[in-house]
Amino acid sequence: MGYGRFLVKKAISYFLVLFATMTILYLFTYPVIQQVIKSSANYIGIEAKRTILASHPGLPPEQVNQEVQKLVQDYLNAYGVNKPFILQYFLQMKQLISLNFGIAYYLNSPSGSNQVNQIIAAYLPNTILLFTTGTILVVALGTIIGLFAARYAGSVWDRVVPAIAVIHSSLPSWWIGFLLIAALAYAVRLFPPGGITSIPPPKEPLLYAASVIYHMILPLLAFMIVNVGGFAYVIRSIVISVMGEDFITALRARGMPESRILFRHVLRTASPAIATQVILAITGSLAGSLTLEVVFLWPGVGLLTYNAILANDVPVIMGVTYVLTIVLLLGLFLGEAVQGLLDPRIKVGE
Amino acid sequence: MSQEFGWGYYLREVFRSRSGAVGIVMLSILLAAAVYVTLTTPPSVFQSWFNPANWVNNPINVPPTWINYFNGGKNPPSLQVPITFKKIYSSPTIYVYTGVANFTYSYSSYPTDVSLYLSFSGKISSINVQWVKPDGSSVNFSVSQPTAPSSYDAASVQLQQGVLQYLSKVTGRSYTSLSQAQVVQVLLSPPSTLSSNPRVEKGVYGLKLLVIASSQVNFSRADLFLKGSSFGTMGTDFEGRPIGLGLLLGLPNALEIGALTSIASVIPGVLYGGISGYLGGRKDGVMQWLMLVFLALPALPFLVVMSYVLKTSLSIELEALLIAFLSWPFYAIIARSAALSIKSQAFIEADRVMGIPSYRSFFTHFMPRLIPLTIAYTALGVPGGIILGETLAFLGIQPANVVTWGRILEDAYANFAAVNGFWWWVLFPGIMIVVVSFPFVLVGFAIERIVAPRVSVK
Repeated sequence: MGYGRFLVKKAISYFLVLFATMTILYLFTYPVIQQVIKSSANYIGIEAKRTILASHPGLPPEQVNQEVQKLVQDYLNAYGVNKPFILQYFLQMKQLISLNFGIAYYLNSPSGSNQVNQIIAAYLPNTILLFTTGTILVVALGTIIGLFAARYAGSVWDRVVPAIAVIHSSLPSWWIGFLLIAALAYAVRLFPPGGITSIPPPKEPLLYAASVIYHMILPLLAFMIVNVGGFAYVIRSIVISVMGEDFITALRARGMPESRILFRHVLRTASPAIATQVILAITGSLAGSLTLEVVFLWPGVGLLTYNAILANDVPVIMGVTYVLTIVLLLGLFLGEAVQGLLDPRIKVGE
Repeated sequence: MSQEFGWGYYLREVFRSRSGAVGIVMLSILLAAAVYVTLTTPPSVFQSWFNPANWVNNPINVPPTWINYFNGGKNPPSLQVPITFKKIYSSPTIYVYTGVANFTYSYSSYPTDVSLYLSFSGKISSINVQWVKPDGSSVNFSVSQPTAPSSYDAASVQLQQGVLQYLSKVTGRSYTSLSQAQVVQVLLSPPSTLSSNPRVEKGVYGLKLLVIASSQVNFSRADLFLKGSSFGTMGTDFEGRPIGLGLLLGLPNALEIGALTSIASVIPGVLYGGISGYLGGRKDGVMQWLMLVFLALPALPFLVVMSYVLKTSLSIELEALLIAFLSWPFYAIIARSAALSIKSQAFIEADRVMGIPSYRSFFTHFMPRLIPLTIAYTALGVPGGIILGETLAFLGIQPANVVTWGRILEDAYANFAAVNGFWWWVLFPGIMIVVVSFPFVLVGFAIERIVAPRVSVK
């Protein structure tokens, strides 16, 4: 079994996971989904009536109502409302998998659309930008700190890492965000307190990117403060356990320099286990990252969810849940793909 | 790997590590505080938190009183001075009482309001009020036919008139109207500074009342109230609610949600992971897949959606169960890797060779070795539950009539506490979340260091 087969097998498994996860979500949120479908159908009816009346002002009201009724009924049929549950389930799952989440009650996308999938499409890239950058930084920094802590195990360096991990594990990231804003955006005016670009956004692409990076610094800082410690601690214990293996002693006996052992052999051996930890870190830190968006007014799905909660916009919240499930699974799949790449046993096909 | 067993051993080891001992001491204090709050606080106090009418007398958005030690008394606390009455004359038709209240004012800023509360039974025909300043000058005003209860603050017509008269007497100029803040300034400044730059006159103030009534009068409550600009040990929020009280009321439910979440997710998680690792092979593969299904549910949005499904039936216990529903896979992963390392040990092999049934081997030799790990992760799981619970509250999702720190912080966010510099409102609830999470993490790490399996890299 080569890497290709491994990947295909994983992809199939992940698609099944997606289906199963969606089913769980569906079953848990069944009453809300029905409510959303009905209100969407209602909205479609009202809109249809308005357009028909605008284009054919002279039409008798019975005929208009009949047309509208037909449209609404078509929409309800597409979702299998009033059909047996099992048919309903498959029809509605089909809509969910094809990212059809209905119509938002109040919120609009920046382009003015009230389709939930378009609203989310407008906000999701910003979330992915912030969250991916944050995760990469945490993984890189955490691995380096963890490696050095393990390399100098027993030193002051090493004793600091568990201490940081302990403190970090008991901090809510959004509260750190709060403090950072109060300290670095208002008390000392070093960074902007929120948003994604300066207002108005710069036209020059380079300046635009610079502005985005400048606005990202504080949220990223908050994200790292909360997540690096725990990650470094896990890396440290993985690396220490690898360093205890016999082949490392053998390498030392051959007189190989310590840094070469660490980066060539230890890191290489530990990398699949580290990849597993990355996968866990991705799922574990998503909630904190979403709340950070609220505090920093970062226009991602976290802020969208907050606004939807304030506006009681249930379809949007549901849509965000489904989309984030898909994104999370994609992230996990990528993590596993990387893990397969790093693990020679999979590459060789053991 | 040799391992010792028995509760005594683990307890000794935890106490031997300094951080573990500190954690257990902190934990005991917190638990005692939570039990104390739950037992001594009647439900009405929890209810009253949500009723703005209870807090109208408190200054809003003000820092703690101890701030005065650092800024030279710029934030006077609220001052409530009871007025003591004495009957000086009585005949069948006329009763005369005097009331006195004295206080020392030693802050460098003005209070935000000065008011007089009177609630009484009986028929009063008039009250003469004399506000005597440290320099001896006095502001006078009188009220006729007051109805009980009555209160006169800086915006009231009677007090305004008295202050206007006093002001034109000492400055020689005539004024037509004053703002509430100006009235307070006149009441608490030396007369010489009033025409140019008013400043606070420090010293002993006196309030003298002369009450003339046509019947016997009983004063049930009579207070002079100076509304300050600092409050309590931790300040107030936008409705005048003391943050310190909110922190106390939030303690039991934070611990409850943390503990429930942790227990409800670690025990099933460890069992699941343990069984999965013990079985191995194809069964392990299927169990791993099922675990992934739950791991892929995004916790925060899922919980938000569930709160819409449950609406008002959301309770702390239900919230904890929902969080546990999403977080058990984390513990299953850890338990599985521990199980794999236990499985490779000789005694499991020996069990098999000796023909001991696999379920017996599992319960008598396998699972007991996962118990210390379970305890460590139960401790480590509590902060996760607390933080997620407070995060949900911060987003506005929490059971009704429960005081949470997340909600206090949400109010702070919604009222722009960071911009306005209301640091007490942001700092203390957050510190409480950390203080409650911290000992669990300490204890958890201490146990984990003793029992942690070698992280599997196989």
